[in-house]
Amino acid sequence: MNFRAIQALAGGVILESIRRKDLWVVAILGFLILLSASVLGFFGFQGLEAFVKDLAGSVVGLFSTIIAILTASRLVPEEIKNRTLYPLISRPINRFELLAGKLWGAIVVTWIAFLVLCGLTALALTFFHVHFEVIMLQYIFCKMLGLAVVCSISLLLSLLMTIQAAVTFSFIVAFGTSMITRAMTMGYDSASPLVQSIFRVLNAILPQYDLFDLGSRAANSGWGTVPLWVIGALAAYAVVYISATLALSWAKFRRQAI
Amino acid sequence: MAKFALETHDLCVTYKRRRGGPLLAVDNLSISVEPGEIVGFLGPNGAGKSSTLKALMGFVEPSHGKAEIYGLPAGSVQSRALIGYLPEVAMYYPYLTPLETLRLYGKLQGLSGANLEAEIRNRLTQVGIKHAWNRQNRTLSKGMLQRVGIAQALLGEPKLLILDEVTSGLDPIGRRELRDLLLETRDRGCTLFFSSHELAEVEMLCDRILLIDKGNLIEQRDLTTLKAELREFEVVYRGATNLLDLTRDITSKDWETYHAKFRTKSELMEAIARIHRCEGTVVDLIARESTLEDYFVETIGRAA
Repeated sequence: MNFRAIQALAGGVILESIRRKDLWVVAILGFLILLSASVLGFFGFQGLEAFVKDLAGSVVGLFSTIIAILTASRLVPEEIKNRTLYPLISRPINRFELLAGKLWGAIVVTWIAFLVLCGLTALALTFFHVHFEVIMLQYIFCKMLGLAVVCSISLLLSLLMTIQAAVTFSFIVAFGTSMITRAMTMGYDSASPLVQSIFRVLNAILPQYDLFDLGSRAANSGWGTVPLWVIGALAAYAVVYISATLALSWAKFRRQAI
Repeated sequence: MAKFALETHDLCVTYKRRRGGPLLAVDNLSISVEPGEIVGFLGPNGAGKSSTLKALMGFVEPSHGKAEIYGLPAGSVQSRALIGYLPEVAMYYPYLTPLETLRLYGKLQGLSGANLEAEIRNRLTQVGIKHAWNRQNRTLSKGMLQRVGIAQALLGEPKLLILDEVTSGLDPIGRRELRDLLLETRDRGCTLFFSSHELAEVEMLCDRILLIDKGNLIEQRDLTTLKAELREFEVVYRGATNLLDLTRDITSKDWETYHAKFRTKSELMEAIARIHRCEGTVVDLIARESTLEDYFVETIGRAA
């Protein structure tokens, strides 16, 4: 595996994103969060800390998921359309390294956007006298893992369908999976053995985004931190899931005529 | 050591289509290019040139046959390490500068550190873009982007340059500079294989041309021989002189003045000498040279 090539490709994605001012959108969103928080804080809504923290977490999660999907799903199709892919794949790198580099770049761009939003949100929360807790760091770490999974799924979908379809499906997967898994859990006991098997397979295939969202736990003071082994298990799940989607992406892309 | 820099055996490239069945773009193409040669790959639009180049680069998989680069399977990472490639339409990341663009490609090529930085600057200077290497690609003209493309193809001293429509977008000065640069590259031992519709460029650069149409090889010609064949000499004379052993192409409109055509200069000189010996009069001497374009149109027309 040529890690230098992967690093170089990721660097290209990040530099392009910064120059294209994609991250400016994040900064503007962050500024709006800051502004609205300061207005609310000025008028003094006492006792609303948990609500504000939950809302801030949801807003940050929503916008960073949008950025993850939009960044990852246009990586390869746009390169093919704009013909910028030819000089890349004419180099002595294989297509797996190309996909890995592009995915790594998209993940880093999403993480930068997420951390910028988190920083600005943390600043906004000071207007509500919210104190720092370790669970917030755990929330950030787990959310970053979840965003990496979103990026890998968007990349895979973008190789299977048009950009527009990939973006739509990515949103459905990112925001609809928790509803589907919840519905399956509720209906599991009353389902036939065959349907139960289908539910189990679907449950294994669908990404469990909810596991990465510690927003509610972080919003409520006094719930305490998540044990480290759980964080470790989440990280392992994310790595396995991303590896699997990257392998599927490669299987689709490795013989694709360009 | 491999005998050929580039070789294809019965290469077929087929594209799947949603309607109308598969499209055969390259049909049993067998060609070879020796190390150090400059070979032009010519053909009308849709002849299969770009598809052949894509198969050589591994962008598309051959549906049949094989292609090799210096004995290595075409499209393999090892073979691509030997190639500098310029795509047909040069597009580069719009928000990166030429320096950053070449830095990215250089790293992928395996270059690093001070060597990479020196080579990037050297290549961009060679293609005449030094003054604009810190401007973003989106602000560069088509010709300047083509120069960036040529610079990236030359990164890492490739053994084989595969160039698709190399002179596209370049002005006459740019073309001349490019020609000099390519000849200089060849002198350093690089093999050049390029497609072009600019036949004048091909004429000035190539040792050999390969002509394809509908995915098939129509002709391959050594350019020195071809140029000689495209040349024609004519003498207009009066008087009775026997030249039939030199040429059968003798015509007369008024039975006094004759027009005799010759393939070579030596035949012409011999004919003039005979006319003088027979006390004839040389009225006019004409040297005609058909262009590669005439040859191209005629050959493709014949094949069709």
